Amino acid sequence: MKTMIVQAALLSLAAGAPVFAATPAAPPLTAEHLTVTAMPPDNPHRIYVLDEAFFNEIDSRVHLFDGDTYARLGQIDSGFTPGFNLSPDGKSTVVATTYFSRGSRGTRTDLVEFTDNQTLKTTHEIVLPSKRAMTLPSYFNLGFSADSHFLYVSYITPAASFGVLDPAKYSVIDEIDTAGCVLVIPSGANRVSSICESGSLLTVTLDAQGHEASRAFSEVFFDPDKDPIFAQGVPMTNGYAFLSFLGQVHEVDFSGAQPAFHKPWPLVAAADKGHWRPGGYQVGAIHRRLNRLYVPMHQGGEGTHKDGGTEIWVFDMATHERVARWPLAPHKLPTVLALQVSQDDAPLLFAATDTSDIAVFDALTGQLRHVEKKLGQTAWLILNH
Amino acid sequence: MRSIDKLFENSARALARRTSRRSLLAALGQVLTGAALIPLLPVDRSARAAEPVASPANAHAKLKPATDDPKSCDYWKYCAVDGFLCSCCGGSSNSCPPGTTPSPITWIGTCHNPADARDYIVSYNDCCGKVSCGNCECNRNEREKPMYRPSRNNDLNWCMANADSNYHCSVSVILGVAEL
Repeated sequence: MKTMIVQAALLSLAAGAPVFAATPAAPPLTAEHLTVTAMPPDNPHRIYVLDEAFFNEIDSRVHLFDGDTYARLGQIDSGFTPGFNLSPDGKSTVVATTYFSRGSRGTRTDLVEFTDNQTLKTTHEIVLPSKRAMTLPSYFNLGFSADSHFLYVSYITPAASFGVLDPAKYSVIDEIDTAGCVLVIPSGANRVSSICESGSLLTVTLDAQGHEASRAFSEVFFDPDKDPIFAQGVPMTNGYAFLSFLGQVHEVDFSGAQPAFHKPWPLVAAADKGHWRPGGYQVGAIHRRLNRLYVPMHQGGEGTHKDGGTEIWVFDMATHERVARWPLAPHKLPTVLALQVSQDDAPLLFAATDTSDIAVFDALTGQLRHVEKKLGQTAWLILNH
Repeated sequence: MRSIDKLFENSARALARRTSRRSLLAALGQVLTGAALIPLLPVDRSARAAEPVASPANAHAKLKPATDDPKSCDYWKYCAVDGFLCSCCGGSSNSCPPGTTPSPITWIGTCHNPADARDYIVSYNDCCGKVSCGNCECNRNEREKPMYRPSRNNDLNWCMANADSNYHCSVSVILGVAEL
């Protein structure tokens, strides 16, 4: 090292330049202006990832991430045990959450916050009665009617009901008791379904002002004792697919006045039933045009329904055949707790791991494109538009 | 208030003695689902006597695989806990840490105690009023059911009906022997 320094000094002297001067004289950096970055235009590969922040739960947030550039685009704060969803046009994020007046304690305020997805500014809020369902995030904690005329919020105290809100006037319209059935599954312009302990659905139809006009219970479509469904649906054309703990797929068509149930079909061959299971916090994603269902699957027995997938299985929704099986171990990925797929013609599959990494796959081939490390601490729900 | 506690405790114990597990669960579930204002559930203090002496607390220590260590997620009573173990947060398997408040409503489960080969009905109460403890995360789900069956669900924040509904940690309290 000493020899090198001496050589450098000699070279500098030979060149007639001071030993430590910059070479050659570059123009100085220009003065900078502090700015605020604008959000890039929306695209089909933008995702909204809820970090539930389980280890400091009053401080959850929604991260916006671009699956093409792998850029972290920005953040929407979401308070304590939130629900969140996107407006049907994708322009707004709604967060149903709770704040305490002294940070971690004090007076509880439940509210819904509206954020503009192009500015990430929170623009409006609606204060709720202190009844908001404090539970795992899913599509069904709060959601819009198809025409965005109403916004519904799930309440659990633990008595179950839901709030009907006016997202144009930013007001609460009504609270509707759901006879013990939970969550809000919006359909059409004026219907809300909730999942009942008996294995049926309650569907409340609203009048034009947002008050109850009628209600009806469906037939029992799953057995909550022998093979319960996950209380989270996977959006599909005209409805949702509900997966059961043992891997049955219950497709429910919500396009009519009352839900209609397709014949259930299995993810798992008879020989593997009870050994391979779906699991996690967001247990599937469907590409609607391709009619492909993606499910995180693991090997395990009773009580492992929240274990993440060690493989992602891909199914053709028309034939019910498994068309691909993508193990995660070759990528050195831990188990996957949440899945989402973009709906475009070059679809990406997004997988949140139990270490809160986001893996980005080509949804057609299963090729791993990127792993975004640590997008928060507990990424449990991924939404997109 | 204490008399209501006692009444509830006696009723629950009597139910546990004379009914099957399923009917007890159903009965408790019906009561609990609408019980936002009912005070604290019965607490069987004998559980504390059965609990081994705690080792020096090291909240950040890696959880040991041991069915008899209340600081381990593998402890037999924690078979459907989803949260932070109060044993690692200043409390124990059946007591809340100082300064927190027990949830008056809860979910229940059945856990097998390998030491005496009995199944016990346990109540999983949350301790409330401080932000997440963050130590000894434990997520076990034996016989746990989704939230449309709330009395068997551990995804709900059971501090929801507390004056301060912030979730801190979870305990597992023996209610009685499950007679199958």
